[in-house]
Amino acid sequence: MANSDILLFSSSPHVKSPKTTKWIMLNVCIALLPSLIFGIIYFGLKALLLVAVSVLSAVVSEFIYLFITGKKFDEIVKQFDYSSCVTGLLIGLTIGTNYPIYAPIFGSAFAIIVVKMLFGGTGKNIVNPAIVGRIFIFISFQTVITAYLSPNIASISGKTLDTSATALAGLLGQDGVQIFPNLSNWDLFLGTGLSGCIGETCKLAILIGAVYLACVGILNILYPIIYVIVCGLFTVLLNGFDFAFFLPSILSGGLMIGAFFMATDYVTTPNTKIANYIYFFILGLLTAGLRQATHMEVVSFAILLMNLTVPIIDKFIYHRPFGYYKPKKEAK
Amino acid sequence: MSIRKGKNYRYGIHVPDRKYLTMDCPIENMPSPNKVYLNMSQHIGAPANPVVAVGDYVKKGQMVGEANGAVSANVFSSVSGTVVAVEDIVNGLGQKQKYVVVENDGKGEETFFNDISDYEPKTLVARIREAGIVGLGGAGFPTAVKLSPKTQLDTLIINGAECEPYLTCDYRLMLERTEDIVKGIKLVAKALNLNRIIVGIEANKPKAIEIFSAYPDFDVVVLKKQYPMGSEKHLIYATTGRKVPVMKMPFDVGVCVQNIKTVIACYEAIEKNIPLTEIVMTVSGNGITNPKNVKIAIGTPINDIIEYCGGKKDGVLKLIAGGPMMGKALISFTQYAKKTDSGLLLLVKGEASDSAPTNCINCGVCAKNCPMRLMPMYIEAYALSGDFKNAEKYGAMNCIECGSCAYNCPAKRALVQSISQSKIKIKELKQNGKL
Repeated sequence: MANSDILLFSSSPHVKSPKTTKWIMLNVCIALLPSLIFGIIYFGLKALLLVAVSVLSAVVSEFIYLFITGKKFDEIVKQFDYSSCVTGLLIGLTIGTNYPIYAPIFGSAFAIIVVKMLFGGTGKNIVNPAIVGRIFIFISFQTVITAYLSPNIASISGKTLDTSATALAGLLGQDGVQIFPNLSNWDLFLGTGLSGCIGETCKLAILIGAVYLACVGILNILYPIIYVIVCGLFTVLLNGFDFAFFLPSILSGGLMIGAFFMATDYVTTPNTKIANYIYFFILGLLTAGLRQATHMEVVSFAILLMNLTVPIIDKFIYHRPFGYYKPKKEAK
Repeated sequence: MSIRKGKNYRYGIHVPDRKYLTMDCPIENMPSPNKVYLNMSQHIGAPANPVVAVGDYVKKGQMVGEANGAVSANVFSSVSGTVVAVEDIVNGLGQKQKYVVVENDGKGEETFFNDISDYEPKTLVARIREAGIVGLGGAGFPTAVKLSPKTQLDTLIINGAECEPYLTCDYRLMLERTEDIVKGIKLVAKALNLNRIIVGIEANKPKAIEIFSAYPDFDVVVLKKQYPMGSEKHLIYATTGRKVPVMKMPFDVGVCVQNIKTVIACYEAIEKNIPLTEIVMTVSGNGITNPKNVKIAIGTPINDIIEYCGGKKDGVLKLIAGGPMMGKALISFTQYAKKTDSGLLLLVKGEASDSAPTNCINCGVCAKNCPMRLMPMYIEAYALSGDFKNAEKYGAMNCIECGSCAYNCPAKRALVQSISQSKIKIKELKQNGKL
């Protein structure tokens, strides 16, 4: 018999949607490009260098790990699903340009090898590798880096921050005293004149990416919106119903990139719609509360904490079959 | 009576239907083949017992296999000729099953039932049982059993959804044999002793909707184009708003669902005294030269069908009996048409999926789309680790195996396979009292 007579035998369904994990991860990478481009415009080519090093480190770490565990090179290439690119990109975008070039190398390698690969690779990690990578860098270089650099582009309102702390630090101030930044909300939104991390200053770019992801059907944009709004409203509540806090609180720090790209990672969010609403609601409360209490950038810590609660949420919230009725209590 | 829109059901998927390949092809009668291979278990339940021996002369329409018990069905010869073998054959599904092989003498001598004595429900059901009619939508549940419910039903739903991609045979029958269908529906309604008849047709078949809305006795319901609209439970919900409780059957909510082809078979058995010997199937896919809707004799080898449709093209990756979502892949071309086959698909690379599974990324798409509201990813994970108690907790037994989960799975996991395996395992464990 000719070779063409060999038939593939597998379970139904025999047709499948063309969307694969690879496709999803590639699209997330594309959605992060606007942030990267704005980061380069604002902070110069050092930004590109840091992100490139971060991505490269993440990908190489994955390859090395798989190579050590005995996979062949072409096998690894075939399996490669761009998820380490996403991790590398996110880590690169959430550090400032004054970080040394070796910072993202360590961060990405730690994130990929310890957080992702040791747990079993894509889909098996219990917390978001990018979050842990960022926290790893944040804590390791705390003594070296005390402030972020200001961007090349001046604020449109013509004002500048007195200190080179991030806008968030300016907003919440020290010792619990509330100081509003000298920047307008437009500055916070566009990232002009705002010091901070490469990818998190320009909220416009983040939103462009998020809308793209929502349009291709990867992201349910309602979830991060719940997170952001709950966080903003809770900040307002904690500050005695002063709605002047609403926009600055949601536009400062890493909340936007955290909400739209890190908290929404498929692997570390619950599996059902209702569970996700609850998850993002609590995440909003937690972020606002922690911010108020610590006066630090806490989005990544809040997400990390909530990642760990996902198995518990999933244990209690799951679908009941179509036509399910609560069993009637039997009379004793 | 009226045309109305079906009740909206949120959960399900959108699959490119690719019906244009055969949608405008009239049903052709394929000449009967040289040999027919009549499977003794073309239905759910016990296999039929062969009642002929090698060397016997049989006419077309003569019984060759007798129903073995209540949930079983008779099998009839679809050609006239000599029985050349009664043996176990390994078919294209890899199953060893009993076959009666009849060599066609080309004379086409036929035998019929006697005229029906009266139109009492009992007589009608007896004739349907005698004619070996089973649910031709794919499940193959004996129709006579379905038509003798323990309680009085109030609604008969005719399933014209045909939500499977590629398949168009029901649609063509609705256009070409409208009168027979209408008569058949009335006979089935009479057998069930009820008046309320609903015909559910998916919105992508406007011609069929137009034709059936002309009949005053029927309530035509236009269903949303969504997979799996033709699933019994979802069809009942969309047309009547009733929810079939878990682990219950449609008759528990007073409904009986019948397929278009089953209805035609009932009409032929009752009015024309012909047993079930021929079926209409869609031969389609990019691997066949001339996609067609054909009427064939049951037991025709699929090689003959492919030849009749112009032969296969190079690079056929998958051969499927039935639709692409729920049909069964065949391991070889040594398969013979069964009563329940409504399609024969030859899919090429790029059309059929051949991607290897990767890790689950917890995206939740399977749970989001599941029309039965199950948690496929948990069932799969528990089934693979052998924890069938938890697999059942997340609804394994309610799975209708529609494939909505696996269709959209980005990791391309074999969800349906794991779930159907765990269904078998759970049943087995329950029988042994271990679960």
